[in-house]
Amino acid sequence: MLTERHLQIFIALAEEQHFGDAARVVGITQPPLSQGLRRLEALVGAKLFERGAGRVELTPAGAALLPYARRALTSIEELHQAAVARDPEGPEIRLGLAPEVPPSAGAAVAAASGAVIPGSRVTVVTASTSSLINQVNTGRLTLAAVLHPVVLDGLEAGPVSLLPTWALAPAGFVDDEVVGLRQLKGLPVAIRPRTEAPAARDLFVDTLALHRPTGGTVVVTDERAGLAMTAAGQAIVVTADPALTAPGVTRHRLADDPLPLRLRLVWSRTRTPFLRPNDVIAQLTEALGAS
Amino acid sequence: MNARIRAVFEDAGVRGWLHAVALDEPDLTVEVDADGIVPLASVYKLPLLAGFCRLVDLGELDPRQQLTLDPSTKTGGPTGLSTFADPVTASLRDLALSMMTLSDNASADALLDIVRLPRLAELLKSFGLQRTWVRRGTAGNLRDLQRRTRTNDPDAALAVLADNDQTDPAGVYEAVNASASSARDMTLLLRRLWAGELLSPEQTEFAKATMHRQVFMHRLASGFPHDGVRVAGKTGTFGALRHEVGVVTLPGGTAYAIAVFTLAARGDVRQPRVDAAIGEAARVAVDLLR
Repeated sequence: MLTERHLQIFIALAEEQHFGDAARVVGITQPPLSQGLRRLEALVGAKLFERGAGRVELTPAGAALLPYARRALTSIEELHQAAVARDPEGPEIRLGLAPEVPPSAGAAVAAASGAVIPGSRVTVVTASTSSLINQVNTGRLTLAAVLHPVVLDGLEAGPVSLLPTWALAPAGFVDDEVVGLRQLKGLPVAIRPRTEAPAARDLFVDTLALHRPTGGTVVVTDERAGLAMTAAGQAIVVTADPALTAPGVTRHRLADDPLPLRLRLVWSRTRTPFLRPNDVIAQLTEALGAS
Repeated sequence: MNARIRAVFEDAGVRGWLHAVALDEPDLTVEVDADGIVPLASVYKLPLLAGFCRLVDLGELDPRQQLTLDPSTKTGGPTGLSTFADPVTASLRDLALSMMTLSDNASADALLDIVRLPRLAELLKSFGLQRTWVRRGTAGNLRDLQRRTRTNDPDAALAVLADNDQTDPAGVYEAVNASASSARDMTLLLRRLWAGELLSPEQTEFAKATMHRQVFMHRLASGFPHDGVRVAGKTGTFGALRHEVGVVTLPGGTAYAIAVFTLAARGDVRQPRVDAAIGEAARVAVDLLR
């Protein structure tokens, strides 16, 4: 019997021209991919691909049948979408946001997530990157926006979004609108606890130390505490939030943007409710970076 | 029991795989995802060494045979004969030495060409390694990386992996097409090698002595800052992959085979925390076995 999976394999192989890459796109390993292809070829009674050294190419028969496969797969997906839209409850999309994600960016991703599946309900939680990775892994979250770099533990991840950051300093600390990190000496930079995302935090601190040999860091529980310490003349906050402000605090662009906020969307390959996760993530990534 | 090792990996920002076993008591083990199949990077040079030594034992190769490496065709790399500007002639066993102690890519690919992939696969099966595949050498690895990164030279391809601002191209850290093994299979190889079950006494001694001359001390050996502890090892580094497998011998002679594989979250070429974490994880494992 011809199945949706056969069509996915056919199209992925035609697009990727590589067994390993096609298997990844479909979300299976190589042996079932090869087996699925053999079964499909038996079903349609034609050889669809030439398997060469390291390359896979469509045969004339494969090229002729490919448009039909695409149309069939699109119809099946439309059927799924229609079925979901008829469900009065709608599927639930549980989104996790790292605390570093600017509120406007988090809102944009949540809005875009809901728009992907008509009738879906979106719930949002905020938690540290390491906690979010764990929650996506265990199925408690559908997807999450986390700091990069991070240990993925087998999760799927979208492209890296780079959000520019600003320095917030006590009023009168520096005058220029655009400052080099070196000018921000004498006060510690407020950072969140290292255990929340060791690799990303180390990269931040290592980069900071490269550009700014003195001044150090001070660990704060959240941006609220960092902002308060800045207003009190005790710290500098580096933030990607374009709206974060307080009396007694000045905002400065960082020359050459040395400390961008690196964010990635992560999800579980086996638990995603999205029929075309890569397309959805591309949309959501755009929302994340565009806000 | 292995929660401490997992904590070491987490703190270093790596995904980690580990298997440690007491050479005299193979039932005593410490394991973290020990059966996961991981791309070996330059650790493949260890099974290659074992295969080479077996062919010497079988009389199929003469370890003193001279081979000339031509700069225009040899594999590039950061160490050993890979870096030489002019043709170099050395014996096969000296190429093996350079391959193991300096992770010399040119020497390794030259030896692999002589041993040949299909022959090596047979030998690894005969060694009892069910989950170890040497599918290509360093030159093949770099060619695959260039294809996946759509770059024209190895340095540009590796620079893509080192960039924290972009996503790793799909498949570069996948074991399916690369030389790959599990931590458990690597300690099995070391255990059988050290027990003299695979090679003649002469070749066993050559392999062990070669591994004891390892110049890189920043990984496994960094966990044992005592000259009384002997560490024989082989490292592997490729993009965010950082590995070392080896045998740690305590004063008094008790020895442990250890394989530590890591995949770092960061892409940077220099990651001293990860190197140190490999030593730290190995030390915790040995302490658990003592």
